[in-house]
Amino acid sequence: MEVAPEASTAVGAGQLALLVPVGNDTYALPLERVREVAVEPRLTELPTAPPVVLGIFNLRGEIVPLFDTGRLLGLRPVNEGAYAVLVETEHGIAGLAATEMPLTVRLSESVGRSDLEATTETFLVGDRRLAVALNVAELLSPARISR
Amino acid sequence: MSPPEQLSEQDFQRLFAAEAEGRLDTLVDQLLTLEKSGPSPELLASLFREAHTVKGGAAVVGMAQVARVAHALEDLLEEVRRERRGVDASLIDAVLGGIDSIRTLIPLALAGEDHEAQASEAEQRLRGGLQPRGTAAEAAGQPAPPASPSASAASSGTPVSGHDAISRSEAAQPSAASASAPAPPTTSPRGPAVGPAPAAPSAAAPSAAAPERPAPSEPAVIHPGEGGHWSGSEMVQMPVHRVDELVRLIGEASAATLRLGSALLEQLERDPSTVSEYRDLVRSLNELQELALRARMVPVMSLAPRLRRAVRDLARETGKQVRFETRGEDAEIDRGVLDRLADPLLHLVRNAVDHGIEPPEERRTLGKPPEGMVRLHAMQLGSEVIIAVSDDGRGIDVARVREAAGRSDSTAMDMDDESALYLIFRSGLSTATRVTGLSGRGVGLDAVRASLNAVRGRIEVRSDRGQGTEFRIAVPITMATLRCLVVNASGQTYAIPLHSVRAVLMPQPSTTVSGRAMTMFDGRPVPISSLASVLGTGDGCSGPAVVIAGLTRTHALAVDHLVDQRDVVVKGLGELVPRLPAVAGAGVEPDGSILLVLEAAGLIERARRGEMGTHYPSADSVGGVAVEPAGTPHSSLILVVDDALTVRELQRSIFEHAGYRVQVAANGDEALVRMAEERPDLVLTDIQMPVMDGFVLTEKIRSQPALSSVPVIILTSRASDEDRKRGLEAGADGYIVKSGFDQAALLSAVERLLGAPA
Repeated sequence: MEVAPEASTAVGAGQLALLVPVGNDTYALPLERVREVAVEPRLTELPTAPPVVLGIFNLRGEIVPLFDTGRLLGLRPVNEGAYAVLVETEHGIAGLAATEMPLTVRLSESVGRSDLEATTETFLVGDRRLAVALNVAELLSPARISR
Repeated sequence: MSPPEQLSEQDFQRLFAAEAEGRLDTLVDQLLTLEKSGPSPELLASLFREAHTVKGGAAVVGMAQVARVAHALEDLLEEVRRERRGVDASLIDAVLGGIDSIRTLIPLALAGEDHEAQASEAEQRLRGGLQPRGTAAEAAGQPAPPASPSASAASSGTPVSGHDAISRSEAAQPSAASASAPAPPTTSPRGPAVGPAPAAPSAAAPSAAAPERPAPSEPAVIHPGEGGHWSGSEMVQMPVHRVDELVRLIGEASAATLRLGSALLEQLERDPSTVSEYRDLVRSLNELQELALRARMVPVMSLAPRLRRAVRDLARETGKQVRFETRGEDAEIDRGVLDRLADPLLHLVRNAVDHGIEPPEERRTLGKPPEGMVRLHAMQLGSEVIIAVSDDGRGIDVARVREAAGRSDSTAMDMDDESALYLIFRSGLSTATRVTGLSGRGVGLDAVRASLNAVRGRIEVRSDRGQGTEFRIAVPITMATLRCLVVNASGQTYAIPLHSVRAVLMPQPSTTVSGRAMTMFDGRPVPISSLASVLGTGDGCSGPAVVIAGLTRTHALAVDHLVDQRDVVVKGLGELVPRLPAVAGAGVEPDGSILLVLEAAGLIERARRGEMGTHYPSADSVGGVAVEPAGTPHSSLILVVDDALTVRELQRSIFEHAGYRVQVAANGDEALVRMAEERPDLVLTDIQMPVMDGFVLTEKIRSQPALSSVPVIILTSRASDEDRKRGLEAGADGYIVKSGFDQAALLSAVERLLGAPA
């Protein structure tokens, strides 16, 4: 599987990003890390798995896990998988749950660093909306998932 | 040279490359036999023949430099054959070096890259090896033998000169040899160029400009036997991918048959199991599938030559004396699985030589024989193959492991020895104080574990300080498909691998015994739980109960209803999902939905934990290796007496998993010492052992008033009536034959005598 180089694990100003709505918050992912967005994937619950694993689904014959983006960040759980943003990681493909349809934007200048774990910087998108850029490698690491 | 001729030559070169690989493997294998068992005329003749054939083949296909090196190799072996040179380690080194050079040169020749310098160097080294040791005067007066016609012609370095060799008498040989030579299966998928017959080249015309090089480290090659060759009439070479395709198509046919069955039922309202044509179809498909899967099987021991070579090289490099033993020649495994095991096993074997076996002088002072032992033992156990790599070296220093891990993890200091031992599988942990060229090739035990996870395997380790270490790998025999019983619990379907299903019981009331719900199976009480509550997806299930058996325990799981039986192509859940002991993987259904495949051992563990209300600390499972708690002080004590470490430890693990306490002894004498320390509740002993055998031990036990009532079970690999009679005469209570070693039978024999563990 092609995995984007380390430099693109986070997104920077001037780059194309996918905006991922999770509850009231919005996160930004580097577009080259995103394979596609699945709408309402048919989830199979994975019994005995930690709650951060929302379930698994079949993506054209490939079995893909869907993760609760909120829980991964140590924030409020999403508990649903209306949209699955499929990202490439060094450990294989994984889905990040989004609550609304993700959209693509070109990021403007950063408005500051983000203190949240597994994130890098904050960007202003649109008029008043803030998006926090995710560090995919850190967010979807086996250590974070099983903690 | 016109283009068509060039293409054809390239094809012949590839054919030769494939053939040479097999021959070089045979050479290495025979060479190591030579080193171990000493020369015999047949062996030397065979070695010489192999080298000679490689030389002839290389010359015919225009690999002049390869031919020269092979010729030097042949000359060296000829010296040995004529007893002008003795067999010693330096000779073996020289020949192995020459073989390695040929392996390196062939891909260079295929790629059309310049390899004259390497070839000359290799040739020089081999010619240097011709001077007999200790007879320097003779050697000084006699320079290296003159090069043969082919070698001198070839030394001009032009490819054409190699053709001169065709006129030589052996020119006829290679083509015949190529026709019958086993093309190593791994190279086969690259295309028709390595097909079975030399006639293939005209059909095969891959671009000659960028020929693919054979992989430098070749995975398992099926060896045709000690120096033998496959007879062309009984063997068909087939690329592995064709077998895979066959397996896949049969799987699809099976799935289509299941759909046909439901169509019969729904549209014609006919129960398919009453339609004889349907039953015939299903039966034929099942047989076909089994045959196709069998075609992918190779002996585990096909890896042995590579491992033996690694042991030998590393022992030489580190100045140790090591004997490499193999057991379990008949254990077979899917070659896809075996390919993935090659590197982990190589690593374990190297570790054993490098870190386990002590130098000869140290062993002597310890009272051990100067020659250390590394053993590869394979055995089939149900649907798994167990492969053990053991040594009789110094064992793992748990204190140092703990100390090394403690630098980054403070909890390591508080772990007991068993848990701390498993820290060796952590990434980046090393207690090695020095690095050797061979064992430090960048894979650690964490990588070994990761490779095993990829084939749904497990690894366990046991180590006795000063006595040795054993790594035990358990892998499924095949990963292609798994026959499963599909059940429904709380609205969700699950597949339970059929090999772990013992029976299906119709719904019946359960009784409660000391707080646990039990049902009767096979005349014995078996704990029963609801599948939905074990998985945490719902409450009680009211339907039939599926009796499943893990490695050591049996448990009944109530479900809502049975769906059917089918073959599931099991896929892993990926690296990101944490290992779930109760879930083996998942399959994709024809309608695109996902079917979860459960794992018996993990389910039973969860069920027991849930019912007893106890929670084992998470340190139980270090790196995906389940470590079961040892028996409580109240449970029965079993004394296992066997001189084979593998058998002893396998039994220890079986009984400890089942909740017993276990003591071990390596012979009868040692057993009596253990028994004097603490009286066991049962003795399980082998017959053939050094110092004191099992018969004598049994007699001694019976003759001591304090021990005479201890039940004794004799476990042996010999099934003779006389042994059985002698064992019973000596006073044994039971007699179990090891062949077809059946854990369930062993446990039930023990349980009959002791009652279930406390």
